[in-house]
Amino acid sequence: MKKKGISRFTLILFVIGFMLAIQFNTMQNPEQRDTRDVWEIRKELSVETQYHSELLTRIREAQQLVVQYESSQADRPERLVEQSIKQLQQDIGLLPYEGPGVTITVTPSEEAIAFGLTIEPISPELLVRFVNEMNRFQAKAIEIDGKRLIYSSAIRDINGNTTINTLPIKTPPFEIKLATDSIETVEKLVAQIQASGLADDFYLENYALEIGEPVEKLSITSYDQPIAVNYLTEWKEGD
Amino acid sequence: MWLPLLGLILGISLGLMTDFQIPSAYENYLSIAVLAALDTLFGGIRAQLQQVYDDKVFVSGFFFNIALAAALAFLGVHLGVDLYLAAIFAFGVRLFQNIAVIRRILLTRWADKGLSSK
Repeated sequence: MKKKGISRFTLILFVIGFMLAIQFNTMQNPEQRDTRDVWEIRKELSVETQYHSELLTRIREAQQLVVQYESSQADRPERLVEQSIKQLQQDIGLLPYEGPGVTITVTPSEEAIAFGLTIEPISPELLVRFVNEMNRFQAKAIEIDGKRLIYSSAIRDINGNTTINTLPIKTPPFEIKLATDSIETVEKLVAQIQASGLADDFYLENYALEIGEPVEKLSITSYDQPIAVNYLTEWKEGD
Repeated sequence: MWLPLLGLILGISLGLMTDFQIPSAYENYLSIAVLAALDTLFGGIRAQLQQVYDDKVFVSGFFFNIALAAALAFLGVHLGVDLYLAAIFAFGVRLFQNIAVIRRILLTRWADKGLSSK
């Protein structure tokens, strides 16, 4: 081959190699474009910050528990275990809750009474919406018509009756009790309920919400039915 | 002999090092261009071995094939027909044929060498 030919061959091979490499690059790491705007990033950041602070709180609690365990190892560790179990039961609602709270009464609206309308039982959709909002407003314990709500409580229609934990609830009027950690949170919760559109939602179905005064001590009953644990098994000693 | 290989290695390393990427919309064009380039390359090697190599044919073939393939792909995209498949098929078949011819020529030469050295 002549010299000129070799140099051309080299040039073309160079181009081929370059193209191959670029194709390889492109196939290996497809470009991912960040299409979030500043606002979305801020929102994500705030969620992460919240998560961070929650984690910190939980770490602190766990550390306190460790310190307690260590300091009480000499006397009675089983009492602490009992305490932990009690705390867990309290957290999921197996024990009565006592704390600052507010009582809300759901009653038929005045207009409905004046027009002589029949008062229908409250719909599960409305109740679910209410409960979701309460959880969003950081209510710690919720009791509706004497039935304690826990993480697995189902609010649904069974044969035309609205039920909670499969027990039917009364046609209004009935009481809803909400409890939180502190009286400030209760006041905030009341303000949030007043500001939200919940009252309007209830009014559309001919009910009125009567929000009581926040009280320092409100007792909420415990969940009294067995909890079906499908996927966990008991830890046998010696395993 | 080694200079073209050096060019290939240089091209690949430059492409990998620059970390240059093309938009995904143009991936098709690049892949078909690569195929066209490979086809031309093996065609060139075959022509060289058959002693019919011509610089002008080789260089013009290289660029013309790439352009034609890209144009075909472009047309295909706009007509909604996968015309780039036609180019892939044509280049693929030619690539195999060229490589087969190169292999035969090399085999014959190797056999001739063996005979002459005996």
